[in-house]
Amino acid sequence: MLKHRLQRPQNPNRVVLLGGSGFLGTRLSALLRQQGTEVLSLSSKDLDLSVASSVDQLKQILKAEDSLVMASALTPDKGRDVRTLMKNLSMAQNVAEYIEQKTLAHLTYISSDAVYDMSVNPVREGSPCTPTDLYAAMHITREIVFKVAAQKSKTPYLVLRPCAIYGSGDTHNSYGPNRFLRTAVKEKKISLFGGGEEKRDHLYIDDAARLVSACLSFQSEGVLNLATGTSASFFDVASQVANVVGNETKIECSPRANPVTYRHFDITETLRAFPDFRFTSLREGLASFYKTDMRG
Amino acid sequence: MIGFVGLSHLGIVSSISIASKGFKVVGFDPTTELTSNLEQNKLPVHEPGLDDLLARSKNQISFTSDPKKLEACEIVYVSLDVKTDQNNSSDLGPLTGLIEEVAAYLKPETILVVLSQVPPGFSRKLALKIKNPLYYQVETLIFGRAVERALYPERYIVGCENPAKSLPSTFEKLLRAFECPILPMRYESAELAKISINMCLVSSISVANTLAEICEKMGAEWSEIAPALKLDKRIGQFSYLSPGLGIAGGNLERDLATICQLAREYGTDAGVVEAWVANSRHRLDWVLRTLHGSVLSQNENPTLGVWGLAYKPDTKSTKNSPSLHLLGQLKSFAVRAYDPQVELSTEQRGNKLTQAESAVEAARGATALVVMTPWKEFSTADLKQVRQVMDGDVLIDPYAALDRRACIELDFTYYRLGSALEQRGGVC
Repeated sequence: MLKHRLQRPQNPNRVVLLGGSGFLGTRLSALLRQQGTEVLSLSSKDLDLSVASSVDQLKQILKAEDSLVMASALTPDKGRDVRTLMKNLSMAQNVAEYIEQKTLAHLTYISSDAVYDMSVNPVREGSPCTPTDLYAAMHITREIVFKVAAQKSKTPYLVLRPCAIYGSGDTHNSYGPNRFLRTAVKEKKISLFGGGEEKRDHLYIDDAARLVSACLSFQSEGVLNLATGTSASFFDVASQVANVVGNETKIECSPRANPVTYRHFDITETLRAFPDFRFTSLREGLASFYKTDMRG
Repeated sequence: MIGFVGLSHLGIVSSISIASKGFKVVGFDPTTELTSNLEQNKLPVHEPGLDDLLARSKNQISFTSDPKKLEACEIVYVSLDVKTDQNNSSDLGPLTGLIEEVAAYLKPETILVVLSQVPPGFSRKLALKIKNPLYYQVETLIFGRAVERALYPERYIVGCENPAKSLPSTFEKLLRAFECPILPMRYESAELAKISINMCLVSSISVANTLAEICEKMGAEWSEIAPALKLDKRIGQFSYLSPGLGIAGGNLERDLATICQLAREYGTDAGVVEAWVANSRHRLDWVLRTLHGSVLSQNENPTLGVWGLAYKPDTKSTKNSPSLHLLGQLKSFAVRAYDPQVELSTEQRGNKLTQAESAVEAARGATALVVMTPWKEFSTADLKQVRQVMDGDVLIDPYAALDRRACIELDFTYYRLGSALEQRGGVC
């Protein structure tokens, strides 16, 4: 599924990052700069991709030798309705309009593991994509929109589907490590749905950025899931958070409203592509997150 | 006189086996180097007992590249190996070409028997093209046990144009010499019977692989469970219940691909077959995942020792070999490989992949040692010496070729299929 266009890694000429002020975008641009790569990081304040004039702006900004990373999207916390979907698709339409006309060195689309149905287990890159909500439908549609555009301009194209990412700088407060750490620090408690039996794969932000950077350096093409291959129950995550915070945090369970679901990833494709990649363990990631954000 | 056309692994073993029963046999192959070597008793394949059998039968068998020698035959077997492509689809062109070529030398009454691996429907179409009586005989060659299987077959499955008609007496006499049941059936049934046998084997292997993975995660032990299953008469003592690194060797994969193709063509449900294929791919990378978790993600510049390149012991065959698949994934690491029979080609070797002269040399300085083919030589290796020459302590032995207790006593961190990680002191 994933193919390296370059035999040996080399820094991209320049990376243009759309969605540069997001959780992943911020960390990625910092890492790329640290590695000596020129980065142009653009947020929605710099460039509103949802308006048609953004195509002309992209023409002014982008050069043929650029690697473009499309990480800009309205996330579910901004809305799960049709309006949000259509706005996200308009953004894709405008970026795609540019891509189909102009060849770039490389295009990466940051999608989501939401494109897979929860019944798929373990999730692999070849697992069927069966979106069950508008957010997932948005990502799978965008993946195809960019694929068609990239084919027209012969731009090498990569889709990355990250699982839940946690760590310093996360602007969301979704159920999982981020929220657990915040409530553990502020309220000395962590509230779980049911007994927290659900298992999920949690990827540390630095690892996510390093994987994206590795793909850029090899000009990888195809599809890759961004996950660690190790899933933990929310109860285990809560216990590890409590352990890291060390303030006698109480873990509270609640009556279960929904059936327990599990999500595991088979990360063989990542191991093939980057056999020496080292993932940060959940314990290490939580400790680092706590040290950076919570303890100051 | 019995003729053999296409001296593949199967053709060589089958022709010598028939000769050993007192029949006069001539083996034909267009490759003169091959027939010349065979005439000098030089076998291109490694099979236990085959050298002895050829030596004992030498007066009964000859090898030639002259197709005219087939003119005297009453029965001619076609045993060319049908190659598969990357998608496990058969390339039947060389087989049909060879049959058409030799058919010109046969008497009209000479019986033609296809032993090669053909898809359902092949024999019926071929029967329309040639004048000779045509039969298809199912062969389920097992590399490493080919002689035993050829001399003592469980049964003969014979595909016929019309199974209601008796087999020709010469053909029946030949088959009866092996003292096993003979099951004549229509061409299509015989062709599908061969695939059905292989599907049953794949099913058992897939059960073992699926359950073994759960054992590894939850601390159960597959080697304790499998014997219990084998005592169940519905499963049986010879069932394929050893976990492995997916389906290897080529022929089972070919049949899986054939069934998926037939299901697409006829609109039948082959979802379970597709699941077996997916599970096979998943298990094939078990060593890579284990290596990554235990070594590659833990060491800056690990050196790896690999024992075994063949797809299974007692064969030189590397078709779909898990070992070569693994080596392809480890190109960025220093690897020393050793196999008692297989030599890596110059193209396969590289700056980082070298071939060692012995098992101990492959292990020398290794951070981890992986036993990819369970050759007998490895199970009798001096593990104490191996432990001493290695730098690291990780031992990955998917097929349980080594003595687990001895490995743990020597402080190896020991991994194998169907078992949780075990170190001295117990299961981790």
